[in-house]
Amino acid sequence: MSDLVIVGNGPAAVAAIERFRSLDSRSRVTLVSKEEVPFYSPCPLAEYVEGSVARERLFLRPASFYDDHGVEFLAGATAVGLDRGALVISRAGAVRSIAWHKLLVATGAVAARPPIEGLEGTAGVFALKTLSDAEGIIALSQRARRAVVIGSGFIGLEAAQALRRLGLDVTLIEALDQVLPQMLDVDLAEIVRSRLEANGVKVLCSALVRAIESEHGAVRAVRLDTGVIAADLVVIATGVRPDLRWLAGSGIATDQGILVDASMATSVPGVWAAGDVAQAPAWDGRHRLIPTWPNAVSMGSIAGVSMAGGDTRHGGTDIVNVVRVFGMAVASFGERGNGESHDFAGAGARRRVLIRDGRISNGQFIGDISGSGALLEMMRKGVDVSRLGDKIARPGVGPAWSMPRPPKPGRHAA
Amino acid sequence: MQKAIFTLMERCVACKSCEIACAVAHSKSGKVATAQFEEPLPRSRVRITSAGAYSFASRCVHCEEAACIAACPTGAMHREGRTGVVAVDEDLCIGCWMCVVTCPFGAVTADPGTAKALKCDLCAARGAAGLGPACVDACPTGAMVYATPDELAGMRRFATAMASVGVVDGVEESVALWRNLKGGRSI
Ligand SMILES: Cc1cc2nc3c(=O)[nH]c(=O)nc-3n(C[C@H](O)[C@H](O)[C@H](O)COP(=O)(O)OP(=O)(O)OC[C@H]3O[C@@H](n4cnc5c(N)ncnc54)[C@H](O)[C@@H]3O)c2cc1C
Ligand code: SF4
Ligand code: SF4
Repeated sequence: MSDLVIVGNGPAAVAAIERFRSLDSRSRVTLVSKEEVPFYSPCPLAEYVEGSVARERLFLRPASFYDDHGVEFLAGATAVGLDRGALVISRAGAVRSIAWHKLLVATGAVAARPPIEGLEGTAGVFALKTLSDAEGIIALSQRARRAVVIGSGFIGLEAAQALRRLGLDVTLIEALDQVLPQMLDVDLAEIVRSRLEANGVKVLCSALVRAIESEHGAVRAVRLDTGVIAADLVVIATGVRPDLRWLAGSGIATDQGILVDASMATSVPGVWAAGDVAQAPAWDGRHRLIPTWPNAVSMGSIAGVSMAGGDTRHGGTDIVNVVRVFGMAVASFGERGNGESHDFAGAGARRRVLIRDGRISNGQFIGDISGSGALLEMMRKGVDVSRLGDKIARPGVGPAWSMPRPPKPGRHAA
Repeated sequence: MQKAIFTLMERCVACKSCEIACAVAHSKSGKVATAQFEEPLPRSRVRITSAGAYSFASRCVHCEEAACIAACPTGAMHREGRTGVVAVDEDLCIGCWMCVVTCPFGAVTADPGTAKALKCDLCAARGAAGLGPACVDACPTGAMVYATPDELAGMRRFATAMASVGVVDGVEESVALWRNLKGGRSI
């Protein structure tokens, strides 16, 4: 019997442990992790693939982390079922159950597998989600010559860029009519597309992948509606989603992810959820699934406090994304397509801020992303910016307007 | 208690002396005459921004609950144990810019030259030599004050007292007077 069982070993789990232990040093804590390796950051995986970040840099805590925090670490143990009081795990082929008093689900998300013929079981087809995915790509990239990346979200772009830098011939395929469809309006996406093409990535938009063709079990080509592209390495980057199958029958309310309130509590007493798996109230109060690192850390911290008996609320998760496209920074926040757009164009920079009912609803930045965090803060606070007009998109405007208003100049007491 | 930089917005005349001083303080040579020819060009970590009739030097306020630290996926953005300063470990930084897009004060710059996050470090190097932040010392109007919250409160009380007996007029003059009494520029 463990007082607290944590399922998952990503940033949400680690933030929860650190916060929980700062408040509770007595409870017995067990952590169950599907992967064998200790906690690592997935965010620099593309840099690891291209060789600019060394493997040991991915591990953000010392090897003694689990011992230091009094956590029993069950590596290579996959949670396969849950009911009141018992977590069923599978480890090295053996299935057993662990009794729990409190439980945190922090299992993150898995790479989506689109229904493409020949995708399953073909060697040379990878996601870029876990360390083992990255290691598979690295091993094959040493003899592969032609890569196809399916999906042009930020992970697809990072994969394409890393493989290009390794000297492979890279084709990026997107089903919609633009790259970065979640982050950018179509005209701004054109700038990103040109940047990719200028750096040798072939970009095919409005292209539907029909099948992965193989030879002796290994990928040979990718078949589209419009033709066939030879490939000996394929990266699937069509988004991530939580895997909730093992929670069937647990009674935990789910939608796209596990539904939690602002304290990260699920519908079942004694069970909390945090990170990519959790669908929590966002800045606008709506329950949203927003799989980012900052959200995972902040949700994990809140869960840690809640599980230690503290009373705390998350201020709302954010949609914030940033990616570098061959050195060019591209960032966005909020939801696009909803409001009146204000633009700024400068040397090597394009900035767009959408205003709806006097308030910021979305920001898109290329080349100059400075101050974007301040504009995001103004969106969260609902600051009325209507009188600023197009100025809102200028670099340097954000920080000043997110500050408290100073007193009027002239005579005043201190 | 730790010292912080406090801003008296009403004093700022947007002369950008702080920006220059910051870039020079973080340059290789540390001298204005040579810093401007360095490659890469030293960059300032404070930026004069304006809000209507006001301007002020916007920079990191070294938050207690720092959004940039929570957002950093490499451990590069961290809090210095001894000083409480929020700083970037350039060896760990991969230039992913998560800190830039999450800092509510717009205080982190994405430096395209080095591809490393750039922010105020409260002049760690000068601090080691017993000096205060370069921007504070360079400000000709005293728009920034480097003090602990207690010192600032004391200064405010002093200012109110001075103003009430008519010795000086308002906060700006009293800060200047307080400084002169303390005999130094960075308090
Ligand atoms: C290549 C890449 C780049 C990224 N770049 C960025 C970026 O620049 N900025 C950003 O904000 N975000 C980025 N992200 C997203 C970010 O990494 C995630 O949002 C974050 O890691 C989510 O944390 P988490 O703790 O919820 O889950 P994860 O980090 O996914 O961890 C989940 C953990 O649960 C374990 N697990 C899963 N299922 C089970 C099970 N059934 N039983 C036991 N254990 C299980 C896994 O082994 C893993 O340890 C990136 C992701 C990738 C893949
Ligand atoms: S960089 Fe921004 S978020 Fe980080 S400590 Fe400074 S002001 Fe706070
Ligand atoms: S740019 Fe550097 S310091 Fe900022 S979040 Fe990324 S790795 Fe951390």
